[in-house]
Amino acid sequence: MPINGNADPSQLTKYAPTMSSLDTEALTLPDVKVLQVIYEIDDSVMAELIPPALHPTIPPTMHVIGMRADDGPLGAFTLAVVRVGCRAAVRPRGLPTRAVCTEGEAAEALRDRWGFPITVGEPIMRQRYDRQSIQVDDGNVTVLSAQLIDPVPIGNGDLLYTAGMHVARVERDGETKPWLVQVDPEFEVSRADRGQAQIDAFDNGFWDAPELRPVYPIVASYTTANVTLPAIRYICDPEQPAITGTVAL
Amino acid sequence: MKFGIFYEISVPRPWENDIEHTVYHRCLEQVRLADELGFHSVWAVEHHFLEEYSHCSAPELFLTACAMQTKQIRVGHGIVVCVPQFNHPIRAAERAAVLDILSDGRLEFGTGRSATWTELGGMGANPDETKETWDEYTRTIPQMWTNERYGYEGRAFQMPTRAVLPKPYQKPHPPMWVAVSSPGTEIDAAERGMGSLGLTFGGFAEQEEKVDRYRRIIRDCEPAGAFVNERVATVNFLYCHPDNETGIKTGSRLTGSFGYLAAQLLPVREVHPTRSYPNPGLLAASRQQAAQNPGEGASAPEGVCIGNPDRLIEEIKKWESCGVDQINFLLNALETIPQEEVLESLRLFGEEVMPHFQDDQPATTSLSRELAATAAAGD
Repeated sequence: MPINGNADPSQLTKYAPTMSSLDTEALTLPDVKVLQVIYEIDDSVMAELIPPALHPTIPPTMHVIGMRADDGPLGAFTLAVVRVGCRAAVRPRGLPTRAVCTEGEAAEALRDRWGFPITVGEPIMRQRYDRQSIQVDDGNVTVLSAQLIDPVPIGNGDLLYTAGMHVARVERDGETKPWLVQVDPEFEVSRADRGQAQIDAFDNGFWDAPELRPVYPIVASYTTANVTLPAIRYICDPEQPAITGTVAL
Repeated sequence: MKFGIFYEISVPRPWENDIEHTVYHRCLEQVRLADELGFHSVWAVEHHFLEEYSHCSAPELFLTACAMQTKQIRVGHGIVVCVPQFNHPIRAAERAAVLDILSDGRLEFGTGRSATWTELGGMGANPDETKETWDEYTRTIPQMWTNERYGYEGRAFQMPTRAVLPKPYQKPHPPMWVAVSSPGTEIDAAERGMGSLGLTFGGFAEQEEKVDRYRRIIRDCEPAGAFVNERVATVNFLYCHPDNETGIKTGSRLTGSFGYLAAQLLPVREVHPTRSYPNPGLLAASRQQAAQNPGEGASAPEGVCIGNPDRLIEEIKKWESCGVDQINFLLNALETIPQEEVLESLRLFGEEVMPHFQDDQPATTSLSRELAATAAAGD
């Protein structure tokens, strides 16, 4: 059967939040700019990056996601997320290792209501005629620089975004422990471009994935979309295969 | 209604103790039995890098072995990947012709273009271009087979005039098919006068709609080859057991394992947005199948050929009423079902199900030779 992850869920991300409630209401962020850069990663450690509930994709992948909201219910903010591509049983998913957000209030909402492993920082998204980019600096060090190069328009319906499985400590039946919280945003895309993917800088230590190494570019996309962060419908025991360990709320 | 068997050649981990050798030789044993039982054809996919799901990267070799060990059963490419990074069209034409000669004219030539980033990325192919290259292959390969010499300048490839040799044994050439794994591809098959080789596990209503569309469009086709191959084949699972409940339970393990494996691959659509792949095709269908049927189900999904002979006869008659000409069966995945049970299932199907379905079409070899004779007489 397919390879399972073997990461210890309790050690998986030191930025995993504690969610006091899973009773989250959906929230729509209008006209968000979304940059996604997808790479194949070093396969020798693919199982170490995800918990036993999940399978790595073949080949294993990572997603660098930048989002910039210029307005909306959480105010203006820029967000950078690094995820490992995976499967929960037969479903395509991404497991965030860390996220960085410019605004404390937005970061708090994303952490508390949707389980993002998030801290406040200085991600910057830039748009030029021939590229879109996301950059994150930690002090004087650039810990992430990823780009879409030579954008060409594609159909709004050509893109698929995969749902996230966010590691968060959740109290259930009197016990607080790590769970995988399924976050499947809806993207209502009004404009979409596709281009070459390029990662110029990636500090896997900063992104709390010490073994994660991007090795081969797949593609990058850049969209304008209304993004609806959903109500939480499912959580999954990270220790069990998702096909048996998923719980509907 | 004709029946075929269909191979992905799924090999479970760990890949040690000669497991690949064992699986390949089990497949050959199944093919020999299918030949004895009167199955029409054996089909083999071409896949690369698809761990556990399919270790069938050189189907022309497997099919040659099948042909050498059998007498009647036809051998089908299901499919040849028509993308230059996988197969140069001249080599595809040459290999197919040799296989047709060695099999005494038993080749069915399926064409397709791959649907996974796992494969296209691995081979360095651009997903945007595969539909174009496939189209060029389907139009040029028959020309290589039927013209003494042939030259071509296109987008996928160019060649100065050469004799592409040998020529196929079947005249004018082997029947050609298109892999139909996503909605609408049956139109591509019909427009080119090629057989529709279904590779997804859909229900009756979906299939009936596809067949209707295919039959309507093929009437006005511009054949890619020298003749029209108007046939509709679909793929299915097979596990036949005297006890219906046992058949469904064991068969569900097969369908669940297959779908679960397919879902681990990376469809182009998921990571590389392009109009060339408007949906995830086979993998989405498999994923849906596995989600509905994770391996221990007590009931069989609509149209799936698992259960006792009576149930299978009933399901196949429904496929027949949808206009399907042929069903190709997948017999195992991950060696979920022990070999002896696979063989027993095949025997039971051959003895108790196949006699209910009359095969009244002439063998394709003689049909294509008759067509060639008719064409020659008209010159």
